Amino acid sequence: MISEIKPIHAAKYGMTIDVDRCNGCGACMVACAVENNVPPAHEGATDRKGLTWLRVYKVDNGEEYPNHRTAFVPVMCQHCNHDTPCVHVCPQQAVDLDPATGVVGEMPQRCLGCRYCVAACPYHARYFNWWDPAWPKGMEKTLNPDVTPRMRGVVEKCNFCHGRWHAAKQLAAAAGKLAGEPVEYTPACVEACPTGAIRFGDLNNAASEPARAAKEAESFRLLEKLGTETKVYYRSKREWVREIAQAPRPRQSGKEIARG
Amino acid sequence: MTIRGKIPFLAGTLMALGLGWVGFPYAINTRRPQPVDFSHKVHAEKGGTKCEDCHAFREDGTFAGIPTLDKCSGCHAAAMGTTVAEKNFIDQYVTPNREPQWADYARQPENVFFSHSVHVKRAGMTCESCHGPTGASDSLRPYREDRISGYPAEIWKVSGTNHGMKMADCVDCHRSKRMEQSCLDCHK
Amino acid sequence: MKTTRRDILLFAGGSAVGVLMTPAPWRLITDSALWSENWPGIPRPARGAITAKYTNCALCAAGCAVRARCVAEQPVSLVGVAGHPLSHGAMCAYGLAGHHLPYHPARVTRGPVEEAATAVAGAMARLGANERVAVLDLRPGRTASWTYRRAMAAVKNGVYVEVGDVGNSAIDLTKARTVLSLSVPLLEGWGTPGNVIAARAGFHLIQAEAVESRTAAMADQWLRIKAGSEEALGQGILLALGGQSTAAAAEATGIPEQQILALASELKQNGPALVVGGAGSQSAAQLAAQLNDALGALGRTIVARRDAPVPDGWKKAAPAVDLASVEDGSIRVLLIDESAPGAYLPWSDVEPKLVRDNPVVVALGWTREGYGRHAQYLLPTGVYPEVAEDIPRAVDSVEAVFRMAVPLVQAPQGVVKPEEWIAKAAGLEVGDTLRERADAIHKAGRGTLFTYADGKSVATKDVKTDDFWKALQAGACWMDEVEPAKRPAAVKVAAGATRQAAGSANDLPLVAMLTEAPSSPLLSKIYQESNLKLGPKQVAIHPDEARAAGVEDGARAVLETLAGRIDVEVRVDASVSRGAVLVARRAAVLDVCGAGVRAKVVRA
Repeated sequence: MISEIKPIHAAKYGMTIDVDRCNGCGACMVACAVENNVPPAHEGATDRKGLTWLRVYKVDNGEEYPNHRTAFVPVMCQHCNHDTPCVHVCPQQAVDLDPATGVVGEMPQRCLGCRYCVAACPYHARYFNWWDPAWPKGMEKTLNPDVTPRMRGVVEKCNFCHGRWHAAKQLAAAAGKLAGEPVEYTPACVEACPTGAIRFGDLNNAASEPARAAKEAESFRLLEKLGTETKVYYRSKREWVREIAQAPRPRQSGKEIARG
Repeated sequence: MTIRGKIPFLAGTLMALGLGWVGFPYAINTRRPQPVDFSHKVHAEKGGTKCEDCHAFREDGTFAGIPTLDKCSGCHAAAMGTTVAEKNFIDQYVTPNREPQWADYARQPENVFFSHSVHVKRAGMTCESCHGPTGASDSLRPYREDRISGYPAEIWKVSGTNHGMKMADCVDCHRSKRMEQSCLDCHK
Repeated sequence: MKTTRRDILLFAGGSAVGVLMTPAPWRLITDSALWSENWPGIPRPARGAITAKYTNCALCAAGCAVRARCVAEQPVSLVGVAGHPLSHGAMCAYGLAGHHLPYHPARVTRGPVEEAATAVAGAMARLGANERVAVLDLRPGRTASWTYRRAMAAVKNGVYVEVGDVGNSAIDLTKARTVLSLSVPLLEGWGTPGNVIAARAGFHLIQAEAVESRTAAMADQWLRIKAGSEEALGQGILLALGGQSTAAAAEATGIPEQQILALASELKQNGPALVVGGAGSQSAAQLAAQLNDALGALGRTIVARRDAPVPDGWKKAAPAVDLASVEDGSIRVLLIDESAPGAYLPWSDVEPKLVRDNPVVVALGWTREGYGRHAQYLLPTGVYPEVAEDIPRAVDSVEAVFRMAVPLVQAPQGVVKPEEWIAKAAGLEVGDTLRERADAIHKAGRGTLFTYADGKSVATKDVKTDDFWKALQAGACWMDEVEPAKRPAAVKVAAGATRQAAGSANDLPLVAMLTEAPSSPLLSKIYQESNLKLGPKQVAIHPDEARAAGVEDGARAVLETLAGRIDVEVRVDASVSRGAVLVARRAAVLDVCGAGVRAKVVRA
């Protein structure tokens, strides 16, 4: 039921991730889970059945020592701007591409759990709740009131910290800013990254850091050949990293560890 | 079919209509009085003049909702009037410093993001346009709650108005103002 | 008139039609949908006013400045304080979820407090002439450490044992141009992460390590040495610097002789150089100090550092000693403070020091995963962010610092303050030691105070005593003035958490990863739900080793060392070099991997 009306100044939120700066510390993954009320792993959860809206992959160039090189690539929902695969396949209209922000949003409460979107997503960025969310006793007190906890049987994913976007919009309204003006905010992973590898901003605003960095020669997007026009830009000086980004699944150090 | 043949059918229909329109709406809800017999009217006349004086906005634009006890005890540390309701309030809540467990007529589901700032400060809507003429009421109506879903009954119809606070009600207004974009505008 | 079956059916039919014309069925459908949205067991986050509080992270000596986002007084997320001169707004994955620790499933909140006090008092009264009362401090350099030293000076035969203190020398990464790290996790939480990241662009990093750790992956050069050959490499470089043969080192490390020579000359020519490593053993530490001396690092990249001022009244304190220097079989009463995360000595190192008949061992901690497994008494303590405590200086902070973790949430009923409990057991009267220390620092008048809420620095002299204390409690950091770099008197640079490595030809040398505990259950994101780190119960070995041991990926197995056995889960990983076992450091693992690190993985 989404209308086609566009606000006066549509934002197009996007990210740039400097792969050469990422040291794989995992701070972004933890900050993301804290912000978005993602529960700790169920006992039976593995790297394939876990909930990691943002996941840092360790990739390598496949060469033997001493030419062996490794990089860390944080991958979250890439917020495809064109022919968004998950939007197309959802039978519930639980996923939409917000024309005002460019964010691919999902309503887990609307999801019926068919996981068609999980299969459709080329970036493995969607996660299914295989178990009831459970927090150790007392830890539920630390949940973020700006994000609803999800239930078993639904799919969830990164939405560029919409809780923070809501808060920023609200603050802008209270401060008398007009409707339809893009607001500035910082997602949790960007705030948490100790090396400043992840930047976030409005790609429509030429002055923003991502708008500038996205145009750099070393900038690339994952699986560009699909034409999904994702809004998460990566950057690396290393050519092998740029090549890997076009492979269907990140190549991983020690293939056995990836369990298939 | 004879007239005689239609009587049981009509009787069944009438009974179902009666139960469905009268009995069911009554049975689906539980009802309980609010902890304190509070008069918005008296407070509007003697205390603040605007809703916002008590139902305040915080600095970050969030809405504090129902005021907490410290707001009340600022004035009601000792009785200001002679009503029984006030005496009970002071004895039961102010003196022992116990928060009254107010029931919220407009409590929304957990996954709803509703910003009072956006609607009041930016869109300039009045409180009454959604909440009805609560500010003019002399006593608090009993709180009714849906037995199955656990949501306040007034979500389906706000007392003193002809609208509810369901998603359909939000969407109607947003659509007419051409202000709907995405699910995540209002859901969290 | 008679009611027929037909009438009843008609009545029912009429009811069915009628009910469809009422709101009831539709409302029931809606209601059941709404009911299913509120699945039982899914918590509802509490709402309330959102505020910011400031503190310092007490999970390690980095003491990163923290801004806590609180909803109705309860911290719901943590983030670094931008602009902090030392931590630079950075925080690690563990620190970002530090506010979950009070709710950790392994948390203890009840313990035999009275019984322990009686047992300690009884044992101290009957103390033999050669028997000792000891405090084992796993996080030296705190104000509480001073209390322990004073307490041990006040009791008969008291001895204060410290583990992992960084001493009075500091590493100045900003001055280094070439850094050789001997398996030190330099980019993985070593020192003050923000400080390391800020200085990273200024030095060339050579990581000598058996596995490709994150530091090795991010280093400018990775030298894949044989597992456990860090000391051999260090010796080789030392010999190369002296112009002697490095053939033995090349043999031991698997690094060609020429490369060792090149490394030595690079360290020499592209100075100031720095070698970090060697906390694993005494000889390794000595070797690192020798290397740094030979490279001229002392006084340049390794400098002397003053301590934060201490009240004059505290000077009557027991000296700090190593556990190794305590006689075997001499400790009658051992009090272990493990309330704050710190180093861990394997129990196999501690146990021989106790008297044979009925020693009294009291562990004061918040989790049952540490020494509580071995002690007679485990007394519950508060944990970050419940307690007020100061944080010892980090290995890479050149100036003395004083900053506190302040309570953001209330500690549960029944927990003890280790400092007070131990002081009381020793019969020492203590006041508010943190306040006394802060006053002493203020009285000395040196340095500056950086306050987090406004991000401003003021000179200590310009702050009133009370305001100084108030600021520290509201989130602030006092920093001493920077002195001109001086050569440290004695180099005692513990390199934070290092990987331990040693080896024998037959068994697999063990290569421990950076400590995993204490961590929020949410850290499962980085080890269980992704492959970024090894999980606490996992070990990783090379496919060839796995084949030889007959274990498969994901299989349960047993890690066997000279000191014991422990159940583990195997991950087969080609990035681990042959002949090594990669484990995550935690107390239970360290207990069996303490003495002589030789381990092998066997089938369960």
